[in-house]
Amino acid sequence: MAVSTFGVSRRTALTAAVAALTLTTGCGAADMTRQASPFAGARGAKTVTLSVQSWVGAQANVAVAQYLLEHELGYRVDTVQVDEVPAWDALSQGRVDAILEDWGHPDQVKRYVEDKGTITRGGDLGVTGHIGWYVPTYFARQHPEVTDWKNLNAYASHLRTAESGGKGQLLDGSPSYVTNDKALVKNLKLNYQVVFSGSEAAQITQIKQFAKERKPFLTYWYAPQWLFEKVPMTEVELPPYTKGCDADATKVACAYPHTPLQKYLNTDFAKNGGKAATFLKKFRWTTQDQNEVALLIADQKLTPTEAAMRWVDNHTSTWRAWTR
Amino acid sequence: MAALTTTTTASRAAVLPGVLRNRSAGKLLLLAVAAAILVPLLNARWGSGSWPHALTVDLSAPLARTSDWIIDNRDSHPLFLYFFGHLSNAVVLSVRAVYLVLLAAGWAGVTVAAGLLAWRTAGMRLALATTAAFLACGLLGMWVPTMQTLALMVVAVLASVALGAVLGLAAGLSDRTYRALRPVLDTMQVFPAFAYLLPVVLVFGIGVPAAVFATVVYAAPPMARLTALGLRDADKEVLEAVESLGTTARQRLLTARLPLARRELLLGLNQTIMMALSMAVIASVIGGGGLGDRVYQALASVDVGAALAAGIPIVLLAVVLDRVTGAAGERPGPGGRAGWAYAAGVTVAVALAVRLLGRPDWPASWTVPIAAPVNRAVDWMTAHLYTGVPYVGGTADWAARFTTWVLDPVRAGLQWLPWWSVLLVVAALAWLIGTWRTALTAVLAMAATGVLGVWKPSLDTLSQVLAAVAVTLVLGLATGIAAARSDRLERLLRPVLDVFQTLPQFVYLIPVVALFGVGRAPAVAAAIVYAFPAVVRITAQGLRQVDPAALESARSLGATSGQQLRQVQLPLARPALLLAVNQGVVLVLAVVIIGGLVGGGALGYDVVFGLAQGDLATGLVAGAAIVCLGLMLDRVTQPTGHHPKKGA
Amino acid sequence: MSTDASSTSVRTEVDTPVFSVAGLWKVFGPKAERVPADPELAALSAAELRERTGCTAAIRDVGFDVRKGEVFVIMGLSGSGKSTLVRCLTRLIEPTAGTLAIDGEDVRAMDKARLRELRRHRAAMVFQHFGLLPHRTVLDNVAYGLEIQGVGRAERRERAAAFVAKVGLEGMEQRRPAQLSGGQRQRVGLARALAVDPEVLLFDEPFSALDPLIRRDMQEEVVRLHREEGRTMVFVTHDLSEALKLGDRIALMRDGRLVQLGTPEEIVGSPADDYVRAFVRDVPREQVVTVRTAMRAASAEETADGPALPPDATVAEAIEAVARTGSPARVMDEGRCLGVVDHDRLLRVVAGTEQGPGRRAPEAGQRPERHDKAA
Repeated sequence: MAVSTFGVSRRTALTAAVAALTLTTGCGAADMTRQASPFAGARGAKTVTLSVQSWVGAQANVAVAQYLLEHELGYRVDTVQVDEVPAWDALSQGRVDAILEDWGHPDQVKRYVEDKGTITRGGDLGVTGHIGWYVPTYFARQHPEVTDWKNLNAYASHLRTAESGGKGQLLDGSPSYVTNDKALVKNLKLNYQVVFSGSEAAQITQIKQFAKERKPFLTYWYAPQWLFEKVPMTEVELPPYTKGCDADATKVACAYPHTPLQKYLNTDFAKNGGKAATFLKKFRWTTQDQNEVALLIADQKLTPTEAAMRWVDNHTSTWRAWTR
Repeated sequence: MAALTTTTTASRAAVLPGVLRNRSAGKLLLLAVAAAILVPLLNARWGSGSWPHALTVDLSAPLARTSDWIIDNRDSHPLFLYFFGHLSNAVVLSVRAVYLVLLAAGWAGVTVAAGLLAWRTAGMRLALATTAAFLACGLLGMWVPTMQTLALMVVAVLASVALGAVLGLAAGLSDRTYRALRPVLDTMQVFPAFAYLLPVVLVFGIGVPAAVFATVVYAAPPMARLTALGLRDADKEVLEAVESLGTTARQRLLTARLPLARRELLLGLNQTIMMALSMAVIASVIGGGGLGDRVYQALASVDVGAALAAGIPIVLLAVVLDRVTGAAGERPGPGGRAGWAYAAGVTVAVALAVRLLGRPDWPASWTVPIAAPVNRAVDWMTAHLYTGVPYVGGTADWAARFTTWVLDPVRAGLQWLPWWSVLLVVAALAWLIGTWRTALTAVLAMAATGVLGVWKPSLDTLSQVLAAVAVTLVLGLATGIAAARSDRLERLLRPVLDVFQTLPQFVYLIPVVALFGVGRAPAVAAAIVYAFPAVVRITAQGLRQVDPAALESARSLGATSGQQLRQVQLPLARPALLLAVNQGVVLVLAVVIIGGLVGGGALGYDVVFGLAQGDLATGLVAGAAIVCLGLMLDRVTQPTGHHPKKGA
Repeated sequence: MSTDASSTSVRTEVDTPVFSVAGLWKVFGPKAERVPADPELAALSAAELRERTGCTAAIRDVGFDVRKGEVFVIMGLSGSGKSTLVRCLTRLIEPTAGTLAIDGEDVRAMDKARLRELRRHRAAMVFQHFGLLPHRTVLDNVAYGLEIQGVGRAERRERAAAFVAKVGLEGMEQRRPAQLSGGQRQRVGLARALAVDPEVLLFDEPFSALDPLIRRDMQEEVVRLHREEGRTMVFVTHDLSEALKLGDRIALMRDGRLVQLGTPEEIVGSPADDYVRAFVRDVPREQVVTVRTAMRAASAEETADGPALPPDATVAEAIEAVARTGSPARVMDEGRCLGVVDHDRLLRVVAGTEQGPGRRAPEAGQRPERHDKAA
């Protein structure tokens, strides 16, 4: 009896396992580039998944888009925090439906938009982005010459920290951001050490601490960014940007370009996404708009939803055009 | 009397190290001879600076090609369509199924089910604690992320347990498999979680499947180890008795070996759950979603309060799961079926009731916003501690001094050393503490970092590890000794240690930046905070488990409590202290790597960079170097007496 | 030699023996099978063997028969190979060489299924540390052997309950082993072995982990069981008094060899060598030696009167009778007078100076089974 019980239970378990496997996987091919997140659309609503990058400006875009999609168009929105390059991969796979703010990734555009065709351009976001080197305005007022890169070496001693050793410190941000700083320091023969803060959160915390003590610092930063409202900063002029001067990553010796930020949509979603896809293509606002929401989130510590709600209440005319 | 003890112990102390010294001296002498022959040769051939360029292998090009190939073929190649695709599909479907069930049960159903489960397996007190923990998750406004993490956890833990149990069974029943598997499992346990992320991302891309697989790979080894251990350590005579009654091999396994290994199996489950939870949080970096994602997003806006709101449910889940599975292991067996049926019935009833009332979701008005007050507190703390504190200086000053006076010299020293001398030091340390095999593994692992072309960043990371370990050990051993001598202190410490051990590292990265600025100092600080509890706990436990008879005899001879500690407790607790060192090193390394997120640079930064930029060549090489570094550090600190021999 | 036959005369020695063992070897170590095969190696001492081959011989060239219905004791000090020997009987330990038969069937030739059959129905074992399953109740432990055999739940529980009662554990059916005392646990072990109704019970030092008082209870329990059921038993012990008390015949082991095989009386009365002699020196001989051994031929008037004793009576009983009556006692078997014991004879036994029933030749210790077969 006992023996047969073991036998039966084992056979049953095996059958069940095989059946379960067959049921769950189906037979034949399974393309994992067509899988949605398991948490998506749990309540049967139409779901849009948006990628949020780690910086607050991107959160602001997503917060407003999410609020309008949910409250005006009846969608359910999931957000996924992914770094920029992996987000392209996720977008191509359809795990993410849209990226609302891209700072320019020519390699990815070539691979996914031009070659594979799995990603479609979604048009301008309306915001122009710019990366550069910045010093706090209080320091620039005292030492106006510091805003020219040629004079930076003279101020290296002012900008020294424990981490940079004997050299001046150039504070760099998250590894996910576009940066040529190591090459720039080398090619411009600057007596500076690039210190990577490893995440934007760490970088902002550090900048705020410096600002509180009114210490001088030199940092990689980008606009639009809400932090400028809290810590006014002045850009250091690098050799001017010309088209193609940053083609060879090791020989770069020029400033960063001004980039009109782009939206990208998963191709399937762009075709079949209905009102949501149309809405996201039309989504377009200004630097001021974005900063307003970003400040609410980052500085007043509102939740993204609250911040979006506040903006939406005050700018009906702007977003009416997107939902129509 | 006291004089008598001191003389006897003194003479023993003189004898023991004497023997040790002789054996150690022999090993060192042999090593010195080998070095005297080899070093001039190596020196002449490759010079004596940093790792010679001729001995590196550049993997970035082939790795980049591999990564490109995978991305280009992920939607067309049969390997992906018919194998990984199905795996990934199965994960997505099962996570989704669990998630839907959790949502369908509603907050009340899930809370009641969890409480009843705890009640059946661990008793009333833990049942109440479990219920309170789930309600707290809801109050913090984290109900949905908690359910997402729970769904992911359920699938990952089940898969880990299944995988671990199969491996453990194989290793428990076959000596050959055991011999082959044990070093692999031992080694996998010392790898920092971060190193596991890249390979799975490479295959599965960002998302829940990758997170689940990383978690399974990370969490299955303890289950396998303990299953094998439980099966192998079963009472021999019981097995013989069972065999003498004419059992078949399968009957023996099902009716004797597995039930006898119950304690180990449950301990394995416990460890697997804990590791899965910590990995599920870290996996938010690769799109795991849930609570980890909330922490990660909160960090982006430097919102410690929000990070904490998501971090607290993680801690609560961890503590509750740990206690409940732990208590289940202590109990003789699950109770009657009636109790379970009753529990299931109540759960369904509650879930239906709430559903009929139309409140399956956690009511939005029932949340307690803690983010704002926490942020105010953190701001206040940083404002008052950062700098200019009278006499002691601010935390920023400490960090600067620690960087200039400790981290910089150690790093400079390590990088100044000729490459072969680093290997020599590693060999000497590993050989002194273990066998020539240990030494060989350690040296090869260290050399591998050079071959991979990341010698300098590896030494940079190593310098941070050394500094952090030194501080951790000084603080941890002192606290551990104090805790072992005072019950009250230990009771006070216990919840604090629990929280710090289970709090996701992400949560305290920001406060450390606020306190110590950006750079290596905060990375080291975070590592110390993370490793400290384990060191304290192992030290205190080791000291408390010292044979009471030995202590009693010392006391009867009139030893003061200081003498008892120095002459009896510490020497007898030596294995535990060595284990504390080993664990300290392994844990510190894990966090120093994550310190790449706060300016720790070196290998950690490379991994973060690889993940962020999708530059798998950089990331994988750094990941491999971290693994080698971990292996080396483990071997150098793990005495060979680690696995006690059996028998009389 | 005649004593042998008479001491077991009630049993039918025409039957095939339950166990028949000859030339049995068990060698642990690398390439163990070469040791019994090579006469030179086989002759080496334990230390030399280890030196030469790295092997340890736990059992060396052992042979004996276990007869139906007898209590056969294997005795020796620790390391003598006795526990290994009893495990070889059901191949819990695989013998290296030799022949081994149960009821005439070659055990070493059995395949797995047949061997399982042997273990399930023909021989059950009781272990020193009980070997109970800690996660099962007393009742389920006792029923375990039946469960293994595939007996249905209700039936096996019913049968098990009867055996639980038989070993005196009524009311404790639902306890777990951890809640029992050592003696009670061993009763569970005994009941488990009995429950499968085996042809032969094997005991491996079953009582050595118990307190002396409980041990005596358990020994009496075994005696009672044997008396009631007449089941064949093989009993391993290191305790001489236990061996003498329980054993119909005793096999004395030393360093893996069988030193002497015989009835308790033969072992005590005529030790085969100095080792055995030293071993039995402190045994009260009058408790073991029978009057059949101690008697002398009776004169005519002596056959007529005086107290009568059966031939199996011990010398101690005879002393009591002789002291009471003051005259020599007659040894009577079925109304026939075999001989008498007087003061002189009895004192000689107590003093250890009597001429025993033929002091064995030295080689008798080496190959005792030849002697048995002759009997």
